[in-house]
Amino acid sequence: MEAASIPVRRSSRAKRLVQPLAFLGTPTALLLAFFLAPMLVMLGVALDRGLLDGGTGFNLTLTNFTDVISDPLNRKVALTTFEIATAAMLVQLIVAVPLAYVIAFKAGRWQVPILLFLVLADELNPMVRIYAWRMLLGREGLINEGLMSIGIISQPIDALLFSQFAVTVVLSTSYLTYTVIPIYGAMKAIDGNVFEAARDLGAGWWTTTRRVLLPLIAPGIFISLLLVYVPLFTDFASPALVGGTSGYMLGNVVNDYVLEAGDLNRGAAMSIIMLVLSALFALVAYRLARINRLES
Amino acid sequence: MAGAAAPPAGLGARRPAAAADDPPPPVHRSLGHRIRGRLPGLAGGLLVAFVMLVLFGPVLMLALFSFNDSSIISLPWEGFTTKWYEEAWANGQARDAVANSLIVATVVMVLSVVLGTMAAWGLTRLRFRGRGMVAGLNGAVLVVPWLIIGVAGLIFFSQLQVQLSLTTITLMHLVVTFPLVVAIVSAGLVRFQRSLEEAAIDLGATQLQMLRYVVLPQIGPSIAAASIFAFAWSFNNFEISFFTGGFEQTFPVWVFSILRQSENLPVVNAVSTVIAAAQILAVFAGWALMKRLSKSDDDESLTGLLTGGTR
Repeated sequence: MEAASIPVRRSSRAKRLVQPLAFLGTPTALLLAFFLAPMLVMLGVALDRGLLDGGTGFNLTLTNFTDVISDPLNRKVALTTFEIATAAMLVQLIVAVPLAYVIAFKAGRWQVPILLFLVLADELNPMVRIYAWRMLLGREGLINEGLMSIGIISQPIDALLFSQFAVTVVLSTSYLTYTVIPIYGAMKAIDGNVFEAARDLGAGWWTTTRRVLLPLIAPGIFISLLLVYVPLFTDFASPALVGGTSGYMLGNVVNDYVLEAGDLNRGAAMSIIMLVLSALFALVAYRLARINRLES
Repeated sequence: MAGAAAPPAGLGARRPAAAADDPPPPVHRSLGHRIRGRLPGLAGGLLVAFVMLVLFGPVLMLALFSFNDSSIISLPWEGFTTKWYEEAWANGQARDAVANSLIVATVVMVLSVVLGTMAAWGLTRLRFRGRGMVAGLNGAVLVVPWLIIGVAGLIFFSQLQVQLSLTTITLMHLVVTFPLVVAIVSAGLVRFQRSLEEAAIDLGATQLQMLRYVVLPQIGPSIAAASIFAFAWSFNNFEISFFTGGFEQTFPVWVFSILRQSENLPVVNAVSTVIAAAQILAVFAGWALMKRLSKSDDDESLTGLLTGGTR
């Protein structure tokens, strides 16, 4: 088959140049113009002394980066962001691993409907979801009203909304689909016999989970981390709407620099730092996923 | 409930089969074991129910309260009304925002599917220098957070002194969305047999005829899945619209600004309910379309496609 197609391709050298250009020219040009170019411009702006700092023309400087990093408030927000993102990731993994197991091995004819609903949950507008949670968690929200009406609490719990708790809840529900699906994918690839083998060899469920299941789904977990943990660090709408001052995250800081203070240069520096960190993290997670896949 | 209904696929079903082959140890028949045997299925069902409740409960609540005759969203129930829907319909800002989102998402969907399918074909079927770099560029777009792309877009357009508008939103949405189509359609193209394409060419079909009559029917489900996701990615996109939209509001940006000012909340309820209902319909319609296009009853490979889009 290859032999038949080679002479056709060799027949015109020009075709080999024209075809890739015809299929990929426009898409690639768009990516260069509106993805790569903005990134480079942002890098340039981050390295430039801004108008607010008396810069004229292009003045190469690293002060935007040093300012952003040395600001104690930013460090505090970075720590909060790390805490919230990690908590949300852990909550999701704790739910996702058993859920993926149930879907892959126990759900039977419910498997496809459950997956469809997970996809649907992801398709629902995130702003609608955030808004719905705000309604539930508020001081006069349904959870407080409900708990008060059955007499469990006498005062509404204020900490439900505008807190790290609220951001963690909203973020966990926003990304759950992306956490479950890769782990489910890894589970589907497992031959169910290994569990039986483990049981026959005398392993209890905990040993089976730790020594058989977790190693086999490790690549899926790393993909989940890649897809969810990184975006969690940059989320901006959830902390802005349900976080209050205690649930302030790095995305809000970027927004404050860029839109509130109009300081494009420091906003750009902050974005570049977040981009580099997320790229490093993504690279590590990707490598780990690959290595684990090769081993298993 | 889910586990109990499971046909042979599950582990739970395998246990009794194994027990039937071996000489059955009498301990397995004890009541304690029988209850414990049922527990995993029950726990699984409860877990699924809990997750569904957390994922959809809040939105259902929101829909319910959009019919409540009260300007604040809380109990007690003040009676059924549709006045928030009338107010929402009369609200110019709400209508503009939804219309903007629909226009942008439709344009982005159509262009993304065309560009993405072209690029997927080029990347999977053609050999040329720089292929790895082009593929890498497509992949990079998918992992860079939207917040950062939005900020970069804002800075880029402001440096070029381009007025922010629906056009800038659309361009930025397009650039982050079509690589997703590339990923989904590439996966479809890699899966099916190339020999059919070569047979078509050997039988004298032109490249275009081959694409039209051989390739398109085979990757139909992938393209349907990609369309659903492309529309949703653009329609739901908040960060990029927020930073590159200037004074133009899309639906998510409108909700965000209303929530920031904490006003007009029941109207948001009504609009959100309509949007959520439309999205639910769209997903199930898309699913039905994919099933039709694929002409097979293999639900699992289709869910694979659909879930592949969430990556």
